[in-house]
Amino acid sequence: MKRQIPLVLVFIFGMLLAIQYFVPSEPSQRGYEFVLDWITIIGIFAMVLGIWSQVHVGWSKIKHRSENWQYSIVALVSMFAMIAFGLSPFGGLQGTIFRLIYNNVFIPIQATIFSLLAFYIASASYRAFRARSAVSTVLLVAALLLMLRVLPMGPLADPISSIGSWMLLVPNLAAKRAIAIGVGLGGVATALKIVLGIERSYLGKD
Amino acid sequence: MTSKTAMRILTAIVALIFLISWIMKSGSGMSDSAFTNVRDGFLVTFAVFLTLSIFSFLYRDNPFYKFAESLYVGISAGYWMCYGFWSTVVGNFVPRASRSLSEFFHVPYQEHADHILIYIPIIFGLILLTRLLPKIGWLSRWSLAFIIGATAGLNLTRYLRSDFISQVSNSFIPLFVDWKGVGDFVNHISLAADGQFIAILSNWVIFVGVMCGLVYFFFSKEHKGAFGVASRVGIWILMVTFGASFGYTVMGRISLLVGRITFLFGDWLNIL
Amino acid sequence: MKYIILLFLTCLSLCLSQAILAQTASSDPPAEAALVPSEPPAPPGNLTLKDLPNDDGHGIAVKWDLSPDDGAGAKSVISYDIYRSLSPDAPDSLWKKAGTVVLGVKSYADKGNRESDNDDYLPKKTNLYYRVYAVGAGVRSVAAAAGPVQAYDNWFNTLKVPELIFCVVFLILTVRFINMAKRGIDLYVRPLAGIEAIDEAIGRATEMGKPILYCLGIGTAGDIATIASFTILGRVARKVAEYQTSMIVPCIDPIVMTIAQETVKAGYADAGRPDAYKEDSVYYVTSQQFPYVAAVNGTIIREKPATNIYLGYFLAESLLLAETGVMAGSIQIAGTDQVSQLPFFVVACDYTLLGEELYAASAYLGREPLLLGTLKAQDYLKAIALVCIFALLALRVFTGADVIHKPFDMPWW
Repeated sequence: MKRQIPLVLVFIFGMLLAIQYFVPSEPSQRGYEFVLDWITIIGIFAMVLGIWSQVHVGWSKIKHRSENWQYSIVALVSMFAMIAFGLSPFGGLQGTIFRLIYNNVFIPIQATIFSLLAFYIASASYRAFRARSAVSTVLLVAALLLMLRVLPMGPLADPISSIGSWMLLVPNLAAKRAIAIGVGLGGVATALKIVLGIERSYLGKD
Repeated sequence: MTSKTAMRILTAIVALIFLISWIMKSGSGMSDSAFTNVRDGFLVTFAVFLTLSIFSFLYRDNPFYKFAESLYVGISAGYWMCYGFWSTVVGNFVPRASRSLSEFFHVPYQEHADHILIYIPIIFGLILLTRLLPKIGWLSRWSLAFIIGATAGLNLTRYLRSDFISQVSNSFIPLFVDWKGVGDFVNHISLAADGQFIAILSNWVIFVGVMCGLVYFFFSKEHKGAFGVASRVGIWILMVTFGASFGYTVMGRISLLVGRITFLFGDWLNIL
Repeated sequence: MKYIILLFLTCLSLCLSQAILAQTASSDPPAEAALVPSEPPAPPGNLTLKDLPNDDGHGIAVKWDLSPDDGAGAKSVISYDIYRSLSPDAPDSLWKKAGTVVLGVKSYADKGNRESDNDDYLPKKTNLYYRVYAVGAGVRSVAAAAGPVQAYDNWFNTLKVPELIFCVVFLILTVRFINMAKRGIDLYVRPLAGIEAIDEAIGRATEMGKPILYCLGIGTAGDIATIASFTILGRVARKVAEYQTSMIVPCIDPIVMTIAQETVKAGYADAGRPDAYKEDSVYYVTSQQFPYVAAVNGTIIREKPATNIYLGYFLAESLLLAETGVMAGSIQIAGTDQVSQLPFFVVACDYTLLGEELYAASAYLGREPLLLGTLKAQDYLKAIALVCIFALLALRVFTGADVIHKPFDMPWW
């Protein structure tokens, strides 16, 4: 019962949704939209589990005075404050304080984390330039050509730009196509394994 | 000097700079209201503090980064929960479930919605919450089974057109473009981007690339002999692609920094 | 070196931002060409209607012959307007405009809405009438009219026959190879360096007394890459339990967290160590990309895991995670089906599973007949695709025939 019913549910809903793809009729489309809605609504209940996990982990750190327990207080207080402001009937997501916090705390941090990519890509490039094999040399040369495209290279600018554009259009397309075909097959195989119950580790153990 | 003392001195310096910046930004505010200037001055200074705290991670982990990270994670979790509540519960569920709730939340009640069916995900959701009770926590697998089964069923077919069939059908490209014979080809050979030679070369590279790329992804045959050579060519084509993608995104990633630098040197320090 | 890069980037950014701020651009919108009234064009001819195939019963296919004035002369047609009504004699106000197409186009798929309270509602199994006007510059022709026609549900989408054939072939191959594997026939699987490294990486973590970080990516439980990652997580959890190491699994989605908890718990139970499983080792962080990355980065730097495993759906945060792992000195094994992120993993990680290798990994780790059977079926389908591409290209080269696009791109009319 603990595993049989879930396996049956997986099979039924998996097959229904797979068959639905081939059936364009109105009941089929409505069924498809229902299922998508249901998944979204269940996601709200799952959020309760998320809050519970955060509170549980944070409280545990605070109670046992684990390393960096003070920051768990910051995380929990800010989360509950945001929830309080956001769920308030006076404005909700458009409330003044909610938007102030979002625009002046969340957005600057988000933009800064995103901008860290500039530093990380520079350090990744530096490491990539120490090519240790023929294959990584190929990667390095291709990367260099594309990077040199945007720099003023004098008489070499046009040839480098042409080669770079050609590389982005031709071998790039070939490799992406080969990967996409493989990914498509792999995705279908994985989905089939789940629906047929071949893969069932997600159901846990009795 | 111990690291704790150094940290305390650093914190004091940061607090002092924060205060000075707040005062100066409040003083240079454009609004008539003193409260607005003080508030905006604080917000800009706090945003700068958070920005520099995140950047400090590049040097090493430190209390400023930890504070900014915890604040960010907490605000994000709270934001997402509020967003989920207003968009899904109030926007999606309430208009179909209850007229009185729809009136309370000022959302239009859907007369023709299937009101009974909307309670099925509610039941699944409540079953999911049994996870919090150890004795009956196994019931939550039913909800997980529904989600996993439904999404697996969706993925079973929806990848086929875009990731397999379209890709295979688009691989049937002409290998000899505008072919009028070897003589004509040799006479008009050139490296022009729109020329016949480049078009034929490109199509052959695509053909060989796709074939050898697929050979590389063969798992049930040892990559030896001719098969191994094809696999090797495949991985080389893949590496050219990865290198090209990497090089192409470098400048894009670096430009992400421009916004932050403009904020720091423009909005804060008024240098730019 | 780090500081030189920092200084260089700061100078570059200052220069770039100056350049951006200095840029101004303006352009005036072009003046609109004045419409010159002219005589109405001739109407389109031979208006035919039929139920739109492969739809939900709220669509009609409208087809006509081009107006003689289409693209020619002073009465030149600019577009065609299509109108719909429930009665042929309805007043003009009750004719609903279904759509407009440009000159030269002689068909239109009128896909109405299925909700009766919607303005564009197109009822099923009800007589409908259509008018098509040829529209010139400020004038339109008399209507070409036709009807009645009724829209019906369709119960099979004929355009998806290739997918159906594929599914059936895949299923047959899968069943065949599963049976072969169950009979004990050895099905060879080539080594995957990334997966072979997992054992070594877990051993390293045990020796160092450090945990293993397993990141499922930023996908939800609906993403197939995340589902594939769950299958590997279970096996990794089992090995971790056998080696008596600890594991950290930060999750971006509460449902992913729930499934991951079940999976890891099952892995520990399979290894005979259910008591060693700690619920707090698999936890929810937040549902957004960059806060999640910030938290995981902080965990990597503080916990200093010996091994980082990134398997699943990743976007821009892939480089952030991988570089932080390099800073922490971890061995890193990554795998994703996102082609755009593979370059960053290849550059920053020690081992990378490319695309389909992520999906094959569970078969490789488990070596179960059922899993090996599906992997073989995948390979056979790849071989079929290869042979098809090769054979049909050869056909095209030697005969010039382009046969393949017809079956795949069947027209709806």
